[in-house]
Amino acid sequence: MALEARLTHTAALILQALDAGYVYGFSIMETTGLPSGTVYPALRRLEQNDLIRSQWEKQSTADEEQRPARKYYKLTAAGTTTLEASRRRYPLLERLIPSGEAKTI
Amino acid sequence: MRLTLRSDWANRQLQLGLLHMASFLVPRQERAEWRREWRSELWHVRQACSGSGALGSRDDQRANGFCLGAFEDALWLRRSGKPHVVWFARMEGTPARCLLVMAGMLAASYAVAVLLPGVRAERSLWPSKVNPNAVLIQQAGYSGSMPTVTPDEFRAWNERRQKYFDSLAYYRVAQEQESASGGSPDGASHAASTWSVAHSSENLFESLGLTVQFAEPRSQAGGSYDVWLSESAWKRLFGADPHVVGTEVRLGGRSVRIAGVAPDAALRLPGAVDAWLLEQDATREAKSAGYAVGRLNAEGQGELWSSCIRITADGPGDSKQDLMGVLVESSRPGTGALYGFAALLALLSLPAITAVSLGEYSANPQKTSWGRKLYRWSFLAAKVALLTPMVYFAALDLAYGFTSFGRDHAIEIQLAASFSMCLFGMRWVLKDQRRRCPVCLRCVAHPAQVGQASRTFLAWNGTEMMCMGGHTLLHVPSLPTSWFSSQRWLYLDPSWAFLFASSATTMDHEAIGGFFST
Repeated sequence: MALEARLTHTAALILQALDAGYVYGFSIMETTGLPSGTVYPALRRLEQNDLIRSQWEKQSTADEEQRPARKYYKLTAAGTTTLEASRRRYPLLERLIPSGEAKTI
Repeated sequence: MRLTLRSDWANRQLQLGLLHMASFLVPRQERAEWRREWRSELWHVRQACSGSGALGSRDDQRANGFCLGAFEDALWLRRSGKPHVVWFARMEGTPARCLLVMAGMLAASYAVAVLLPGVRAERSLWPSKVNPNAVLIQQAGYSGSMPTVTPDEFRAWNERRQKYFDSLAYYRVAQEQESASGGSPDGASHAASTWSVAHSSENLFESLGLTVQFAEPRSQAGGSYDVWLSESAWKRLFGADPHVVGTEVRLGGRSVRIAGVAPDAALRLPGAVDAWLLEQDATREAKSAGYAVGRLNAEGQGELWSSCIRITADGPGDSKQDLMGVLVESSRPGTGALYGFAALLALLSLPAITAVSLGEYSANPQKTSWGRKLYRWSFLAAKVALLTPMVYFAALDLAYGFTSFGRDHAIEIQLAASFSMCLFGMRWVLKDQRRRCPVCLRCVAHPAQVGQASRTFLAWNGTEMMCMGGHTLLHVPSLPTSWFSSQRWLYLDPSWAFLFASSATTMDHEAIGGFFST
């Protein structure tokens, strides 16, 4: 619980974006307006703290759409709990990025 | 159209190049995946920017900005993979880190002082000072390194009673061919070379007040001559081998024995001498002009004026000569004295650039213990103690490290560097002390602007900072007023502790990247 209460607004915003369905780095950047130098290190830290987990999409799917494969990020159970606590701390979070805004891939 | 496509291709290559460069910061085991992700993301960035057409200049700027962010990501990965870096980052703001950094800088400035030849040469002269009363005598009107005293003139002066000198010595420099005669104790040999040999009076070193290293008793057996190598020639020609003493060499067609090494202080005499050959009568058989060296007696010292003495001497026959004696060791202050003077000036000037007070410490309801106070003052003393030698060596590095400026400017450079570094160094020491919590000595953080500058006379405005350990709050006024002239500390009582319940963990995470907050 201590970790949940100490999440910064930036980290909470990224978790909220992931929860809203923005599941790869560039889409999080576009949604939050944060620069790449903030978003990607934040994703690494969140993954290191087991709040999110990453997974490469299947190469065949990417090939079908004629683009390189993406690395997707997903909230873990701990991440979801942390996000809930952060929403209580930052009530405007959900208004900034409403949940389920993006189409989940 | 073709030009646009070419430019687009060039920009894409530039962006891929940036990612490639950044990837070298990533630990090797993670590099391939890191590159894959960033290249994939770049593709999407470019797609989003361009739609279906080529990228415009603004789009390219956006894509370039995206790629520059890769460096921050790569750096983070690099730091997180190194426990010692994280450990050092965790010490951010602690007194231990401050002292560690200062000690590192001191070690670096000392190491540079040891490595730079100019500084080393200056330091090597410290223990071997030339007699302060030794003067080099030249014809009046000449200066520099030109030999002006003929053997006849010197003989004429030396035979008369001296008014200003205790002793007089003479030397002349000649280029002579040297070849090893195979008498080296350890069998070492080196190629034949030409040496600058100074044929000098036996009392030359005595007149200069120099001691000769590795000196061996002079052997007159077989009429062999003894030579003393200059320190630089000893290092250059023999690799500073101490076993060279006793070696027989052939110099100018005669066999001589290396009897010792003369300190480089002797090389302050003109002539760029490699070896000193002491002879009973250096003027015998000599035709070319040389140099005269004298040691001033009490009367001569009284006649000194600005490191010089003017002499009128009786020359050969009834002729009179005007001579000028210049102190061999100019009366310049030592580096230590110079530094002390600069440090004193800096201390006197310090109040002009910063407040010397350490800020107000309000009454603490918890009563700060004597141990804490001692800890605070010891930390300040430790910083000053580390700063003092650090500035000294750094100033020496600047003054003597670059010999192209010449030794004449070294004093001015050392003085200016010592003064400015002492002044701004002490300013930093005080400023740093004022920003440290009086309880735990960590730097206060999270500055918050309070009030409005336009309401200065109606309400307080300034900056508030907080000790991360939750001990204190620091109030710094934006504009010092008669009721709030300097910063004030507010000691937080235990009722604030809930805010800092897990401060230690928080600081660890902050050190990693300012990701978590209290």
